[in-house]
Amino acid sequence: MGDFIKHPFVDAPDRNPAPLIPGDQLVFTSEEKKQIQTWISRYPTADGAIMRALWLAQEKFSFLPPEVIKLVAEEVGIPYANAYGVATFYTQYFKEKKGKHVLDVCTCFSCQLCGGYDMLHYIEEKLGVHKGETTKDGLFTVQEAECLGACGTAPMLQITNGTFVHNLNKDKVDALLDALREGKMPAFTSVTLPQDEDEMGGNRRTDVNSVESYIVPPVSETVS
Amino acid sequence: MPNITVDNETLEFDGTQRLLQLCLETDVDLPHFCYHPAMSAPANCRQCLIEVGMPQINRETGKPNLDENGQPIIQFMPKLQTSCSMDAVDGMVIRTHKSSELVKRAQKDNLEFLLINHPLDCPICDQAGHCPLQNQTYKHGPEGSRFEFRKVGKPKQIDLGPNVVLDGERCINCTRCVRFTEEISKSNQLTIVERGVRNYPMTPPGVEFDEPYSMNVIDICPVGALTSKDSRFRARTWEMSKTASISTVNARGSNCYYWVKDNKIVEITPRTNMDVNEYWLADEDRLDYHKFNDNRPSGPTISGAEVTWEAAYKAVSDCLKGADGSRVQFVGSAYATVEDNYLLSKLAAAVGAATPIYLAHTEAGHGDSWLRTDDRTPNAQGCERLGFRAANAADLKSRILDGGIDVLYVMEEDPVALGLCSVADLSKVKVVLHFYNTTNQTLPAADVAIPAATAVETVGTLVNDQGLAQRLRPAKSIAGVNRTLSMEIGKCRADRHGTPFDKWYDESNLINCQPGWISLPKIAAELNVAMNYKGPRNIMAELSSANDAFAGATYEAMGEFGVRLSEIGVTA
Repeated sequence: MGDFIKHPFVDAPDRNPAPLIPGDQLVFTSEEKKQIQTWISRYPTADGAIMRALWLAQEKFSFLPPEVIKLVAEEVGIPYANAYGVATFYTQYFKEKKGKHVLDVCTCFSCQLCGGYDMLHYIEEKLGVHKGETTKDGLFTVQEAECLGACGTAPMLQITNGTFVHNLNKDKVDALLDALREGKMPAFTSVTLPQDEDEMGGNRRTDVNSVESYIVPPVSETVS
Repeated sequence: MPNITVDNETLEFDGTQRLLQLCLETDVDLPHFCYHPAMSAPANCRQCLIEVGMPQINRETGKPNLDENGQPIIQFMPKLQTSCSMDAVDGMVIRTHKSSELVKRAQKDNLEFLLINHPLDCPICDQAGHCPLQNQTYKHGPEGSRFEFRKVGKPKQIDLGPNVVLDGERCINCTRCVRFTEEISKSNQLTIVERGVRNYPMTPPGVEFDEPYSMNVIDICPVGALTSKDSRFRARTWEMSKTASISTVNARGSNCYYWVKDNKIVEITPRTNMDVNEYWLADEDRLDYHKFNDNRPSGPTISGAEVTWEAAYKAVSDCLKGADGSRVQFVGSAYATVEDNYLLSKLAAAVGAATPIYLAHTEAGHGDSWLRTDDRTPNAQGCERLGFRAANAADLKSRILDGGIDVLYVMEEDPVALGLCSVADLSKVKVVLHFYNTTNQTLPAADVAIPAATAVETVGTLVNDQGLAQRLRPAKSIAGVNRTLSMEIGKCRADRHGTPFDKWYDESNLINCQPGWISLPKIAAELNVAMNYKGPRNIMAELSSANDAFAGATYEAMGEFGVRLSEIGVTA
């Protein structure tokens, strides 16, 4: 988005892209079809299920090229154009091939003040890519994200639309990248709030083991 | 009847009505972009905001609380409401920009938002002059913009399909085009892609916007984002005259406007008639206008040699004079008006020939259940109602080949192009031909050829496939007639304020032709047959009283929207 502000131009779309998924792989299994039908039955009209179905397709194909969106639209029974509009609306649906792990580094206001850009630039340097790019080994894609709703633990990042990593610092980024290279996904972490420290042992969630206590957020290197 | 108060004026209304529609129908010109009466209201342009209130009801008594003047206290909603998506309720009180400073302010600020990323390219935009965004900015908008940054650039000059071009920057994302393909044409070929400041309407990858009604999105687009590939950059709207008439490409007779510049048809757009085409027009109706402009004749001819009109009329009467009536075949036309066909049948009767036949142009499978029909002519039903019958091709051909016909009188038709006969077959037959275009393939066989005025140059009546008699009005003028003398012709600025001495005054496109209601009486006069009509209005008045199949179809009754004829006498 940063570049877009300096250079606000939307590229002309590729209106006839070559298919990226071979035709024989472009099918849903009967379980997947059944799952989509279950979702459809929960809504008054079929289009309610499109987001869940697109999500399922993204997990299956790892991204959503037009042919996959069309397949989903046909399965859900809504017009292809509608499904395409939904898929392009949300940045969490990947329209092009991404790395195995997509690192969404938050650089919105709170994280920015607390060093979001410092973390983004550190990750970019460490991986040798710019934001929006994927490493050569296909393991990581680094992206700049708008507010992910975890301002209390700024700076933070999200891994592939899933796990949040809070209270980032350089050591934590190093450890995270090493862990991901070894195939270890960090566990969901609950963050305590200062007012909870006295009661409940600080842990609001009894179902998670991984707990981080609240720390006063750092200040960005560029803020003085 | 339920009441509603609009700007301190109380109105009565019927049934379920959306507030915006109610205001528009009572001459309160509420600005709006995304609302269209035929489609759902997503309320996403935010331009039609108004104040809405209801009388405050005392919970104990169930009666309205009154102020010190004895008037009910009106409780307004805390925020402005979109009038397009809210239904009128009995007792409702609304305030529009006419009485509310708040609404005025909202309209002005909303326009400032819409214009942040809208390019200021009105001087080269086809929509300029009939652009809702331009008009409303003049009326309600801010004087300038406070936005000092670069506007967002979006895809431009994208061919969405064969007939529609997209300029993404001009789009204000009202989604009228998307809703048209979803709700009206049901082709579902368009969607809004991307989000926020980057979004614009587009087809999904691999899809062309090629449905047969695609060009309707050009009319409903409230800005110049969707323009016609065919007519863009050809004329500014104030240079053109606009005439309310009907389309002649199929038997539905969709109501349309013909836009004329320098006496050439430039564009055809729909005219609302809820009985026929509602707000819409098929692409084929819009694009088939070159026949009115190109390959037009320069004057009447005898055996290919150009002659005066008097000589041509004389020659026609010479063909008919000595002929045996039973060996004269009159061919009427489903392209010609009821009036002209009626005069032709009178001429046939005067000569002693049988009732004229007409040639059917049916293309099975072309029609749909909407505005396109299998029949590609505008007036087959009118011919049937006059007692004409579709020609039996084999029968006509054998009569020509066997020498059963001495004179073939063809009005505004082309039997050779239809394959009924060849030019060589007609060598022994005297052929009189009224024709529109020099591409008419019967023309080489014609002994006398009379240029006829097309549907955009004449006055007349056509009957559509549902039995609706509708008026044709002249959109362009013909040689020898001053445009403004033809009272029904649409006038442009040049007509109103120009003179023949202006440097842009152009007479080069005036076609030397005559409508049937002028040429046929002239021919009849040569034959000493009286056809004394002051014009098509009189012809139709006579026909509507003489023929039950046209009962009631006077010009006064047809007016703008036509008259539905009774089923009497229809055998088709």
